[in-house]
Amino acid sequence: MNQADVSKLMSQLRIAVRPTKRNLKNPDGPEGRLLKLRKTVTALVKHERIELYYNRADEARGYAELLISNAIRHGDRHKATMELADYWLLEKQLVHKLFKVLVPRFENSTVSYTRMFKAPRDYPGMYYRKSVLELRGNPYPALIPDNSQNRNLLHNVLLDEARKEFRREKLASLANKLAAETENATASTIETPAQAPVTDPQSEQSKQAEEAPKA
Amino acid sequence: MNINVRILTKSVSQQYAFKRIVTFSTKPTQQAAVAAVPQQQEVTGPSVRKPIVPAHYRFVYPEFLPDPKIEWRNAIREKLERLDMLDRRRQIELPEFYVGSILAVTSSDPHAAGKTSRFVGICIHRERCGLRARFILRNVIDHQGIEVVYELYDPTIQKVEVLRLEKRLDDSLFYLRDALPEFSTFDENMEAEPLEEGAPVPINDIKVVLRPRPWLERWERQNLLGVANIEQYIKDKHRKSAEKVQKPWEKFDLMKQYRATIPEEEQKEIFAEVHTELHTLELQRKRNKRKRTFVKPKHLA
Amino acid sequence: MLRTVLSDLARLRLNGFVCSVTQVREKGHLNRPRLRNPYWFMRKQRSQTDDQVTGENRSFIKEVIHDTYGTPALIKGVQTYEQKQLIKTNEVPVSTEPWTPAVRRCGLIARKIGQYPLWLKNGERIRTTLLQVVDNHVIKYTPPEEYKPTQRPNVHNLNRYGCILVGAESTNPAQLTKEYCGIFRDSGVMPTKNLARFIVSPQAALAPGTPLNVGHFRVGEFVDVRGKTVYHGFQGVVKRHGFKGMPASHGVTKTHRRPGNIGGGGEKGRVWPGTKLPGHMGNRWRITKGLRIWRINTKYNVMWVQGSAVPGSTNGLVYIYDTILPLRKPQVAPPMPTLYEQPEDDAPDDIWYEQVHNFKDESITYKPE
Repeated sequence: MNQADVSKLMSQLRIAVRPTKRNLKNPDGPEGRLLKLRKTVTALVKHERIELYYNRADEARGYAELLISNAIRHGDRHKATMELADYWLLEKQLVHKLFKVLVPRFENSTVSYTRMFKAPRDYPGMYYRKSVLELRGNPYPALIPDNSQNRNLLHNVLLDEARKEFRREKLASLANKLAAETENATASTIETPAQAPVTDPQSEQSKQAEEAPKA
Repeated sequence: MNINVRILTKSVSQQYAFKRIVTFSTKPTQQAAVAAVPQQQEVTGPSVRKPIVPAHYRFVYPEFLPDPKIEWRNAIREKLERLDMLDRRRQIELPEFYVGSILAVTSSDPHAAGKTSRFVGICIHRERCGLRARFILRNVIDHQGIEVVYELYDPTIQKVEVLRLEKRLDDSLFYLRDALPEFSTFDENMEAEPLEEGAPVPINDIKVVLRPRPWLERWERQNLLGVANIEQYIKDKHRKSAEKVQKPWEKFDLMKQYRATIPEEEQKEIFAEVHTELHTLELQRKRNKRKRTFVKPKHLA
Repeated sequence: MLRTVLSDLARLRLNGFVCSVTQVREKGHLNRPRLRNPYWFMRKQRSQTDDQVTGENRSFIKEVIHDTYGTPALIKGVQTYEQKQLIKTNEVPVSTEPWTPAVRRCGLIARKIGQYPLWLKNGERIRTTLLQVVDNHVIKYTPPEEYKPTQRPNVHNLNRYGCILVGAESTNPAQLTKEYCGIFRDSGVMPTKNLARFIVSPQAALAPGTPLNVGHFRVGEFVDVRGKTVYHGFQGVVKRHGFKGMPASHGVTKTHRRPGNIGGGGEKGRVWPGTKLPGHMGNRWRITKGLRIWRINTKYNVMWVQGSAVPGSTNGLVYIYDTILPLRKPQVAPPMPTLYEQPEDDAPDDIWYEQVHNFKDESITYKPE
């Protein structure tokens, strides 16, 4: 340790990576852990949305992301990547899906390839946290409705009004300032032909800007 | 030609004669890939793209990449460290070298006569990153194996010369400690063997001969490529236990590899920061070398 | 233990209390992490929920924040805000009294950002820890008459000293509670993630809004660094106290990492207080004292201090004070109450202690005798 391994080159993951791995309690040790995660990764690629325990989902997520990013990076002509796909995907038709469906889907993606949500756990039942893991761009309806555009929520209504008032006040203060300046300018020096045309378009603009939010 | 050939006993030298003829690996190993990629890039479009960092920089300057342990990382510390490393590199020529290269290090030593000491040896290990980067040189002097640990950025180092630039088949050569002394014996007055400019770094496929057990480590468990006679000394029980500790699944453990490496995007950022400086230093070094070669014939005449 | 007893006795004499029984425990505090917050605790972070605010309103909130505190800026390597309209009250008198070794100055809040070696000019290698002073601002000064803390800090004759509240690392106030933001209202400083109070002499008082930089300390001086040590959880004696354990074989059964005997019998037939046993390791406030500052970088507000034993993890918070070790106190007056002037533009970023080898210098050579 204490020196980065330079023999491998990997793309940066767009998900938060834990500093250490979870062991995922397994009698077969580290090998058994991978065999276990293999099933999850296969299921994820196959079904595109799965519900499972949080720890296992979080561990499998990294492997799925790296598998896709390696497939994008090296393509299907690369022997090592093919071996990887062969190991991680238990059903062999999914290898085709990886290279022919997922690679084109995520090629130009700038965000992570998977999404993870916290899911409610059933009560009474196992106390483990649950989660939903899904591939982006899956055919299912979205899990969480997008409420970010709901203008009728109370706080959005209030914020809208506050914003309008903020803008109005700002423009008023600006106009006052300009008026004071022009007055000063005219009072102090008589010949100010250069300044007058400069101030005029600004005030016009500000008037237009004032009208815009009302509309 | 070189010291090895002279020292090797006849039988050994017939089998494992040290050849300057270099075998280029046909496998798509890291070295070959590295050698191929930057050349292609240079040919295809130097005029189209702005100067990109050569892909082999991570092998030449591995110590510029920080420790991948996430808890220990800090962008500003790493930046300051790199600035210090560049400052030091402006003062002293720290050439490209690998495990398996033969180096001569001149360092100031308050206890030596003349206050400097020079040590020639083979680099058997490189480790650590940043200003802590260090390497181990090994040589056999007066039938006594000597190893010296040098810190790359230690300001008491006055000069680092690469006498023979090459790689070996393995990433670290600790097994030379258990090999016959011929394999780690190098002449102190060895002359530098310059490589042609732009030539890829040769891989020396010499296989060393181990002494009989007991060994310092269980070499049979480490899948070494550069050892000739490991089968000679191990029994079935060793073979079985070696098989037991193998971890064939690790090559599929993507996250383990990810946590041990610096991602490509970050590497690009790091090397883009130091690239121009390192490149000018390299050019300067080349110019100096040419000067030296120009001076030499005068001296001989 | 002896020290705590002595200090207890000293306190008794000073305060003039008559106390019949003084119970002496090993450390004077609980040996496990505290599970509940004290009654005076103020919640800092608002519970984070998805507000479902429209994009327009989100940017409006951001605009208001930037309007009041300035636009986001990267100052000395720390992401913060351009805080131009800081209130600098004239209530706090800036004294012109000269510095004496008895004066207590303000300290700094820093982050431990890592460690790497430096070399001295005689070729010796030293290990150093890098501490970055992160966006420090004075929030409040309380004069000695008004300073009456609920938790009395362990300072002799407290009523001679005032208190400075320092904040570090400004953050989005929308993430903080209203009460917490109230602390910052009078200073005009953007609410910060971290707070610390420093007990100071009245001569070293600072006006709210004053930025504190690494120039507060000078190269070659000694500092004390306080931090919370890395938490290891419940550990056995081998890891916690460095016991040797017992052999792995040669007939040893079930006692490989055990403490062994913990006391005698007879009259002393009990476990004596302070016996080294398994327990919680780390997660304690510790001060390493008398660390020399080898080098200072004014561009990134970083100082290199001696050693790699600074308490806390990398990227963790530490507090830097002038040292209390009498023989290591500065001989020359340090900047009082702090260094106000910024370094000039053409000045080098790095200030090196005279004994340290600058990497820009040539290699170290020894002169032949």
